[in-house]
Amino acid sequence: MKPTIVKREPVVDEAMDQCEARLTEEEIEKVINEVIDKETGGRLWTYINTCIHCGLCAEACHWYLSNDRDVSFAPVTKIKDTLWVMLEKKGKVDAAFIKRCSQISHTECNACRRCGMYCPFGIDIAYMILVVRRICAKLGMVPLYLQDTVHSHAATMNQMWVKPDEWIDTLQWQEEEAQGYVPSARLPLEKEGAEIMYSVIGPEPKFLAQLLGNITVIMKVAGLDWTMPATAGWDNSNMAMYSGDFEIMARVERLHHETAQRLKVKKIVMGECGHAFRGAEYDGPTWMGWMKPPIPIVHAIAFYYDLIKSGRIKIAKKIEGPITSQYPCNVIRNAGLGSKLRYIMSAVCEDFVDLIPNDRHAFCCNAGGGTINCGPPWKKIRVQSAKLQSENFKRTGAHTIVTPCHNCHSGVEDIVDGYKLGMHVKFFSELLIEAMEIPEHLKPKEE
Amino acid sequence: MFNIESWDWESKEKMLADTAKWKDKFEDVWEPYISQDGEKIASIVKIGEGEHNIAVNEGTWEEPFEKIWYSRFSPDGRLTALITKDMEWTMAVDGKTWEQMYEYIWDTKFSADGKIIAATTKVDSVYGITINEKTLECPVQLESIASHVISPDGKISAAIAQTVPLGQADLDGFLKGSWSVVVNGKPWKNNFVDVYGLTMSNDGKNIAVEYRDSICEYGILVNEKPWNEKFACTWEPVFHPKNSDEITAPVRQWGQWFLATNGRIVWDNGFYSLLYPTYSPDGNNIAAAVAPQFAKWTIAVNGQPWSVTFGECIQKPCFSPDGRKVAAIAKDKGNWLLVVDGAVLGEAFDNIWEPVFSPNDDKVICKVEKNGKYAIAVNGKIRRNDYEALWNPVVSPDGTKVMICGVEDGKYYRKVVPLSDI
Ligand code: SF4
Ligand code: SF4
Repeated sequence: MKPTIVKREPVVDEAMDQCEARLTEEEIEKVINEVIDKETGGRLWTYINTCIHCGLCAEACHWYLSNDRDVSFAPVTKIKDTLWVMLEKKGKVDAAFIKRCSQISHTECNACRRCGMYCPFGIDIAYMILVVRRICAKLGMVPLYLQDTVHSHAATMNQMWVKPDEWIDTLQWQEEEAQGYVPSARLPLEKEGAEIMYSVIGPEPKFLAQLLGNITVIMKVAGLDWTMPATAGWDNSNMAMYSGDFEIMARVERLHHETAQRLKVKKIVMGECGHAFRGAEYDGPTWMGWMKPPIPIVHAIAFYYDLIKSGRIKIAKKIEGPITSQYPCNVIRNAGLGSKLRYIMSAVCEDFVDLIPNDRHAFCCNAGGGTINCGPPWKKIRVQSAKLQSENFKRTGAHTIVTPCHNCHSGVEDIVDGYKLGMHVKFFSELLIEAMEIPEHLKPKEE
Repeated sequence: MFNIESWDWESKEKMLADTAKWKDKFEDVWEPYISQDGEKIASIVKIGEGEHNIAVNEGTWEEPFEKIWYSRFSPDGRLTALITKDMEWTMAVDGKTWEQMYEYIWDTKFSADGKIIAATTKVDSVYGITINEKTLECPVQLESIASHVISPDGKISAAIAQTVPLGQADLDGFLKGSWSVVVNGKPWKNNFVDVYGLTMSNDGKNIAVEYRDSICEYGILVNEKPWNEKFACTWEPVFHPKNSDEITAPVRQWGQWFLATNGRIVWDNGFYSLLYPTYSPDGNNIAAAVAPQFAKWTIAVNGQPWSVTFGECIQKPCFSPDGRKVAAIAKDKGNWLLVVDGAVLGEAFDNIWEPVFSPNDDKVICKVEKNGKYAIAVNGKIRRNDYEALWNPVVSPDGTKVMICGVEDGKYYRKVVPLSDI
């Protein structure tokens, strides 16, 4: 195998550098073989043995396309430079190699699964990338900020080190905020037997608390019976799924789903986040042995689609001017919500300008798959490698990009900023709050 | 159930509150709670902007508060709630507030007799456990409290707490250990990466938790002392009900889940998943929710799984009082089912609450939900009317009667029905 020519600016990531200094080759060999022998099976070997090294997957990947078709960013190269070597050498590799594996798998691939659609055999490169991440995680080779986020999940069961009292306090404060718009709005905590448990991701109470106020208004206007837990289990996000720490991933998912069972709800509705949907709908349940979540989970896009389509929420005034939307990979390519996203966008926007390519073929925002959580050291290359999507956004001429996913939201803000696009970035619920009709009887009474 | 013998088991029916009237009287009425003996029903009510009270049976608390939440009856029938006055929080008990105010207070817990009320509190950003208004002194500053328990006699309090402050993205500090267990205000000597699944023996003598020692290494600690064995993962431990030196927990080894007692694997079979180990009341048997294969859930009793399996999930098993029968609620094809000793009993429901056995094991009584209404089901068949709200049935200590509390046409009834009649 010819070595890949890799040109990268050096990046200092303290955690990875320290891990490189600490790891022994015996430890590395043991973990690689353990993961390959005990945690993988037919799926991995089918992919490895089926790949004909044709490179067709390269044209699917925004990393490759945004970096002047540098082959070191091609999907198949990401496997060639990691797993193939591990398998060929039967795990006898050194710490510098493991560090490079982490760099490739954690910081240069979003596990977005676009390449799998372009491979003639449907080989799921992203699955293999997660195997590489699993090996790295067990060895402690994870970028600093991603690992810190996983530690937050492990310690607090949420992504942002939010303490139990801060969570409840924020909900109570946002209930008051919502009552400014709709005085009878309530954010019901711990209401056993409600129809819906609403769950969100850590950044909402930490930085974007107004989204909790917005949903309180939306639920009231739609007349829904809902609740939020006042205990851990409220956070549906899961960066442990992306670092490769599957035990913490499972613990977080178990708590989320058991909280819904404890509250005896009929369904979980989750806020606008893509990876959280993947963790809660697929990866978490699979690890736990559940075919699907014991209490069904509905992504915000499908939830808003139902509310608008059924007329429970009416649109008073559409938002003016051209608006586009990012298609979050985990709920569009991987869960088929593209047409529902276009429906709700058209329902609230006067001029919805679609992205090209769109739907299942849309490109990743380049923040997904845990890459944005790798933090500031890796930001430059991440934004640089989103060049293609920045051009796609620019072409729409939109004044606002809607991102029905938290990772997309932060990633697209970085794109707008980095490429000076001069566009706003909003969640769908922010548009809905602006556009929806608040029935007369729910409006604040004039003094 | 505290003092269950002295509850009113004679009155056949009492209408204790017309909750429909609450809706006319107050701006908003929250979901109701009842006392253990069923004699009181309470709802938080909104009486104006930033003004709340609690309606209890036919009256309300004297004083309204800015905010009220988490109204819960203590086992002795006193009504507690967390309230704010001038933007500070405290506990109110039957309308009377504790003197001390807190930055925050939450997670109310009671001793078995209800005399002791404990909660997690925060003052000046320092966390503590407060018991009957007195915050337990702690030699280290607690940075956070994840969960707490108190012994049935209320004498022992234990909490999982962050005992070491951490800077931003301090991976080394985290891996050195920043969490521990605080017992009656005194932290255990060692700190751990993570601590989960806090459990206390019935006699309050022993405390067990799961702990994480490094990224992928887990174990069980009993009174600070780790089991010798470490595992790839663990779930929360449980104590033998009669012998507090015996502790059992699900543990993960070689990609499968096993049951371990005091560190030793005790069931021969490994499972794809294993949750909720539960001892029989005499401690002679253990049942657990298991998945022998992916998405095939059942109950294993003493390691032997039932032959029937369910596609979606199964909940915590429940032994009959004599320990001979086991019931569990399972979900299959979107329906909840009552399963007893490996056989589905009766119909499918939209929801089923924790099963209750009759003393001679022949009846399993549950609160169930169908088409938005609640009912009492016996052996999986609906026996009593539809209710707008309903609570879990309680069997009398002599085993002859059942207390059923529910709201019908807006009225809250406490009924005592002969077991033979349902
Ligand atoms: S999964 Fe996405 S980011 Fe990763 S290699 Fe494939 S196309 Fe590129
Ligand atoms: S397109 Fe498929 S077969 Fe070709 S190199 Fe990529 S993964 Fe291998």
